[in-house]
Amino acid sequence: MKFIVPIKQVPETSKVKMDPVTGTMIRTGVEAIINPLDLYAIETAIRLKEQLGGSIIIISMGPMQAMKAIREAIAMGCDDGVLLSDRAFGGADTWATAYTLSLAVRKLGEADLILCGERATDGDTGQVGPGLAAMLDLPIITYVAKIESIGHEMLRAERLVEGGREIVSLKTPVVMTVVKEIGVPRLPTLRGILRSKKTEIKVWGPADICADVSLTGLKGSPTRVVRIHHPQVTRKGEQIVIKEPQDVEKAANSIMAFMKQRNIP
Amino acid sequence: MRKYNKISQPILKEIKQIVGEKNVLFDQPDKMAAYSHDEVADPAYAHMPEVVIKPSSADEISEIMKIANKYKIPVTPRGAGSGLSGGAVPAYGGVVLSFEKMNRILEVDKDNLVVVVEPGVVTNEINNLVKDDGLFYAGYPMSVETCFIGGNIAENAGGGKAIKYGVTSRYVLGMEVVLPTGEIVQLGGKLSKDVVGYDLIHLMTGSEGTLGIFTKIILKLLPLPVNKIDLLVLFPDAMTAMKNVILIMRNGRVIPTAIEFMDQLSVQTTCKYLNEELPYQKAGAMLLIEVDGSSEEQVEREYETIGKLCEENGALEVYVALNYTTQERVWAVRRNIAEAFKVYSPIQSLEDIVVPFANIPDILPYLEKLSQKYPVIIPCYGHAGDGNLHVTLVKKPECPIEQWSSVEHDVLVELYKITKKLGGTISGEHGIGSKRRGFLSLVMDDEIINLQRRIKKVFDPNDILNPGKIFPENIAAGKT
Repeated sequence: MKFIVPIKQVPETSKVKMDPVTGTMIRTGVEAIINPLDLYAIETAIRLKEQLGGSIIIISMGPMQAMKAIREAIAMGCDDGVLLSDRAFGGADTWATAYTLSLAVRKLGEADLILCGERATDGDTGQVGPGLAAMLDLPIITYVAKIESIGHEMLRAERLVEGGREIVSLKTPVVMTVVKEIGVPRLPTLRGILRSKKTEIKVWGPADICADVSLTGLKGSPTRVVRIHHPQVTRKGEQIVIKEPQDVEKAANSIMAFMKQRNIP
Repeated sequence: MRKYNKISQPILKEIKQIVGEKNVLFDQPDKMAAYSHDEVADPAYAHMPEVVIKPSSADEISEIMKIANKYKIPVTPRGAGSGLSGGAVPAYGGVVLSFEKMNRILEVDKDNLVVVVEPGVVTNEINNLVKDDGLFYAGYPMSVETCFIGGNIAENAGGGKAIKYGVTSRYVLGMEVVLPTGEIVQLGGKLSKDVVGYDLIHLMTGSEGTLGIFTKIILKLLPLPVNKIDLLVLFPDAMTAMKNVILIMRNGRVIPTAIEFMDQLSVQTTCKYLNEELPYQKAGAMLLIEVDGSSEEQVEREYETIGKLCEENGALEVYVALNYTTQERVWAVRRNIAEAFKVYSPIQSLEDIVVPFANIPDILPYLEKLSQKYPVIIPCYGHAGDGNLHVTLVKKPECPIEQWSSVEHDVLVELYKITKKLGGTISGEHGIGSKRRGFLSLVMDDEIINLQRRIKKVFDPNDILNPGKIFPENIAAGKT
């Protein structure tokens, strides 16, 4: 089987600080890592490869330093990597990103499964996976928590939906986005790292994927960030003080009344 | 047996006049219970204080010490209570001096690479404050996020980075100390070298709160390493892992920041406790190895050297934690071992024997024998690169609780004798406190114990500062 996993390099957000004026992340001096949610897609692909055989190709769009993220994915157990890196790709929104990735996927040839993370921890949109499916004209299954079976061109998977789980069967090739429940990502091994150093990672620009540069990067991005603001979190608390034993019942009653008022079961 | 006086109402009134009523806990057992124990699991080592005082200055502490001498009341200084030897427990009641209000970082002198702190500062706070300036404090006890720096110095804490960075004492340049008799003295300063007179700073460091009370501490900082990488190396068995520790130290030509050992029992219990999905089932032991440095290339070269050495010498797999998230994940396994075993069985004794590190493999067969001979399981983990092992005695369910203290005693005596035979001693970093003082004579000659007692007497003629610690009640009783 052939698996393609698009990944994104993002800043290590547990250490990141926000610029209070522009409302954007201060990225300088912050460690760049594989988008943590993409690790679950990588892990899923590796598990499927271990089970069914095949190969995994990582693709990523970004500056040359994103090569490090691709090498790390290879060190975990993936086979090959392609970096889409060119000025013309810079500043892409989810539309332009999905367009660019879709051309790369096309060029790589028929894949059985394209596995994406649920969303990136920096942009937080969750749109690239579905966008990619649309541009490739492939079925999409989002929020996959478990793959029940795969084979005979059919995939059966369990996805998380609000209030429950949905089991979906669909014909491959498929684009899927996975959630954390699917399995804890493994750590890269030393053997993997040494292997990844020897792996030649292709770097493709617009010409390599026959991209229309008016549809890539900032130029091809219909999204405009007009304003970024921090939502004001206002939580009001009510304190119920229990001084005497008989206050306990009173307190319990007022909590019950509050819950009833808010329709909390 | 010592004779101390109880704290009467008039004495209490004097204390309240010094520190203010709100900084005194008295007659509030539910609030004071927290000050009656440290992290030693056995409640037998706990003891309630008569009064808890939360001072704010050296002057207040000085006044309290004068009162304590006048009325012969024991005083026990206390940091965060994360100790593992009973050091902060008021063995004879009396006063607990809690430093929770003296928690200011007084000065960061970036040009001299020093920081001046009060004893109640949480150790990790120092690093949070100086990291943006590219500096760090190299002390790294496993409780770094909760312990107080004053306690680290009192116990001369070691921890997980001692191979490369040494233990706490290396970083203590000076201190303000309230002597047991109440005088306030200044020792040392912001000096990298100082040979004037006896080295009292390092007599104070590791004195387990028995010689003086630190009220200000001058600590040395280091340039913060730019890169670090952790390796989690799986081995088929403990012996192979331990032999690799020697190989790394001897042949690696690298000074790792840490080499932590975890045996199968420790790894399995903790991984289950954390729901960790690392393939720990196949490992008989693990080493957690950290390297840090000033460039990516240097760190990469070093971890590859160590990793390859392990692969060539029996490692099953070498996992590499390349970033903060995965590094936290692998260190969580190491840091949570003690906690995980407390869930498994709260009845246990956490030890920290230390031997020359090349002798570590020799101790493993003895541990195996002890766990066969006695109703005890003995998980073993710790700072292998320092030869410092947290051998832990955990009661087996079939051992009746009333027999446990004698079983524990017998196992400890055997363990300590083996340790001594292998050129080691009974505590590398936790201290003697009240927990191990009965065993001191197993590893220390009477002459040296008596010499240290005389030193104690010079500082504390009335024996009121943290009595009942380090030295056995009488030497003969310690001989078991």
